Amino acid sequence: MSIDETQVRAALEAFGDGASLDIANERIDLLRYARSRITAQHGEERFRVRVRVERGGRVVAGSLETLDRVAVDALAAKLEAALTIVGPGPAGAAVAGHAGPPTSTGPQPAALPAPTTADQRCDWFRTIRAGLADKAALGGSIRNDVIDRVVANSDGLYQAETVNRINVQAIAEQDGRSVSFRTLRADPAEIDVEPIAGQLLDELGDLPMREKASGTFRVLLRPQAALTLIATYGYAALGAAGYAENRTAVAGRMGEQVVSDLITLTDDGADPAGVPSRFDPYGAPRRRTPLLDRGRLVGVVSDAKHAAVTGGVPTGHGVPLGWRFGADPAPSHLLLEPGTATEDDLVTELGEGLIISRLDYLRILHPKDTLVTGTTRDATFWAADGQVVAWHPQVRLTFRLDEALNAVLAVGRDRQCGEQPFIESVVSPALLIDAGPFTL
Amino acid sequence: MREIAERALSLLPSTVSYADVRVVHRHHELVLAEHAGPGDVAYDESLGLGVRVLIDGQWGFAATPHLDAAGLAAVTRRAVGQARAAGPGRPIELGEPVTTRDRWSSPVEIDPFTVSLSTKLDLLDATVKEVETAGPKIIRVEASMDFFRDEKVFANTEGALIEQTITESGAGLMVLASDGDDIQRRSYPQGVPRTIRGQRGQFAGTGYEHIGTLRLVEEAARVGAEAVALLTAPECPDEVTTLVVTGGQLAMVLHECAGHPMEADRALGAEISQAGGTYATPERRGNFRWGSPILSVFADATAPGGLGSYGYDDEGVRAQRTPLIRDGVFVGYMSGRESAGQLGQQSSGAARADGWQRSPLVRMNNLCLAPGDSSLEEMIATTDRGVFLDMTKGLSIDDQRMNFRFGTEVGWEIRDGKLGRLLKNCSYTGVTPQFWAECDALGGPDEYRIHGIPSCNKGEPAQVAHPGHGTVPARFRNVKVGTK
Repeated sequence: MSIDETQVRAALEAFGDGASLDIANERIDLLRYARSRITAQHGEERFRVRVRVERGGRVVAGSLETLDRVAVDALAAKLEAALTIVGPGPAGAAVAGHAGPPTSTGPQPAALPAPTTADQRCDWFRTIRAGLADKAALGGSIRNDVIDRVVANSDGLYQAETVNRINVQAIAEQDGRSVSFRTLRADPAEIDVEPIAGQLLDELGDLPMREKASGTFRVLLRPQAALTLIATYGYAALGAAGYAENRTAVAGRMGEQVVSDLITLTDDGADPAGVPSRFDPYGAPRRRTPLLDRGRLVGVVSDAKHAAVTGGVPTGHGVPLGWRFGADPAPSHLLLEPGTATEDDLVTELGEGLIISRLDYLRILHPKDTLVTGTTRDATFWAADGQVVAWHPQVRLTFRLDEALNAVLAVGRDRQCGEQPFIESVVSPALLIDAGPFTL
Repeated sequence: MREIAERALSLLPSTVSYADVRVVHRHHELVLAEHAGPGDVAYDESLGLGVRVLIDGQWGFAATPHLDAAGLAAVTRRAVGQARAAGPGRPIELGEPVTTRDRWSSPVEIDPFTVSLSTKLDLLDATVKEVETAGPKIIRVEASMDFFRDEKVFANTEGALIEQTITESGAGLMVLASDGDDIQRRSYPQGVPRTIRGQRGQFAGTGYEHIGTLRLVEEAARVGAEAVALLTAPECPDEVTTLVVTGGQLAMVLHECAGHPMEADRALGAEISQAGGTYATPERRGNFRWGSPILSVFADATAPGGLGSYGYDDEGVRAQRTPLIRDGVFVGYMSGRESAGQLGQQSSGAARADGWQRSPLVRMNNLCLAPGDSSLEEMIATTDRGVFLDMTKGLSIDDQRMNFRFGTEVGWEIRDGKLGRLLKNCSYTGVTPQFWAECDALGGPDEYRIHGIPSCNKGEPAQVAHPGHGTVPARFRNVKVGTK
């Protein structure tokens, strides 16, 4: 842990009553490659201190990149002056995410795996490239983030942890077609790069390209596509603020069947299938939160401001100050329960329809309807008679997430872990969706 | 800062064939007032250094906030170590050496960081109160101002030393209205296609004087009333029709259809693991018909007061104006030194980095559509049947930047040359060259505005750029519009 507790406590004293600090010392190492060449290496060390002071219903905030006393005192003076000018909000409005009484998630349970080195990342790249053997061009990146985090406040809260995230992307391109491999793990030992090139070449295959189909068909969302759908649904529909303010598709429907009974979804920051982190930016422990139980709505995620929706206790899903996806609590570690079907089983059950490997640029058009639009990307295939028979052109899909999740016919056995810009990790198997929600 | 940059350069080994150092001190101030909430005041500060080295055809980049002797030694070692770990690569052509020594500052009449907090809050509170006159169906109002200042020093091993101070100011308004079933949003003067808190509205590369030009208080009641009216408005009909859009809405369309695709690094595959590739491949330069002959697009980092204006890019290359589309034909790229070298040309001065901690990428500066000779009034008056749409709400485009869908906050039907009913949940789809081929009218120079939007994401790790977009209202024929 590279964050000095003595300095943290001194800073809290300088900022005074009602202060909370969200501190991260981030080290990012990245190797990028395109057309089978290394194009960039990036090493970044960043120390970020987000400060929030809440006093008498008034809230001011700031950030700096040091705990040096001079800088801290300068910001403290600015915030103190601002507190005398800003007006108080309505009663209760100021409680954004403050965790209230000291709580602790305790010490980090296990020793962290060692991060990757520059040599190791280069070796991984060379291994994948060699496996492709000039049959396809390789693009992508290998990224390792090591983040020391501390959240502390003037009420005595002090939480600390270190998070390790390793993200590998390999995209093989051949004759205008592309296939991709993506994974996100906390431990480099869980990443085996040897088989990646073989998988990519297998998928590139030599199937013909068919014309764009027209109509409505069954769709098989492979895990990387399904996790994008699940993450977007979670963000759009499963937060306590939207629930309380009647802004989401599931508002007022707790206990009701909202999607297919094949869907069981949980948010769990401790589950090693994802990339764990134990508390939110306000220090609230990330509690295991069942969200959908066999399609029934059983929970939403909350922060301190919206804890009333979750029985008075925040689930630990406050979002960082100044987050570019808004101020409402949002899922952080979604896990969709797997089914029993292999990918071959799912293709057989698909019969005729589209197989989608990735959903790209999926954006919410109407949040309350969970209406989204996005495109397919990389390997998109067509199946007929339960066999993969052709490549299919990339298509735009505009559909309702809740309708798609209500039309699930089968859930895959094998799960993959990934991320989206608005969620730390999401784990999902493949989903077979019946005809109806997707129209080509 | 200048001494720090020079000290870091002096620590690099002689095996480095090229290196540059950037020291950046960034200030950001957010002031936000809201309906039924405490608002926000935030002061952000960031100071650090990024060093980029080229050894044996491989880049290494490292960044640190630790600017003491130990920090500088560590960061230079790390950058060099990365470049060496990659082993020898192919030679990288950077074009003509950059040896400029100069200073540049944004044109600022009123330093926004010296204007009192109470002055800013008074204006924003008055804006919120005006919106509230629209009644109880208003459920959320956020009026905000943001100010940025980057003090930057750039130095390289070719002898360049450039100091710049870039100031940006912006403000905006976001309103949500609900009747219990439906929720509708209206923004002013510019929409942001995400739920960001603050950093909304119209931004310029100028000082606090920009805020007064936005007329927040004067427009607030209308914006609130439109948000409420949308709740009972009919939905946009699904049809193929004539589309008229405001310059502000067109800004994002131009950004996605012409801006990102004509970034040279993207055309060379560097974004393949992120946003993707592009239809604007090098062999199509000069022969790909992008749109109708009335369309010409250029990148212009010299536009006075534009949000994307600067004196020099983050590789020390002088700001310039670069043709991208001429008379409807794709003719050029925005580029940095390396990507320009790969294309056999000189840099267009479009390499920009987000702060000290990220290395420069090819980014839009001010992406500008040359005005035409019509006007919004004339376009509507000469349209028998169509829709008039404003304010981007959501957007999506494929990884080759061809197939897009744009949602807008508000629309009106056009019937017999006049605006008719208000429409909600409007969106339109298209394929880039087919859509732009149907453009038959552009607003004239008096309707030309540079729309500054401080939220363009690209790269890994993600970098946020602040581009401007010079646009006018425009009309397109045969566009598929609707709700779904």
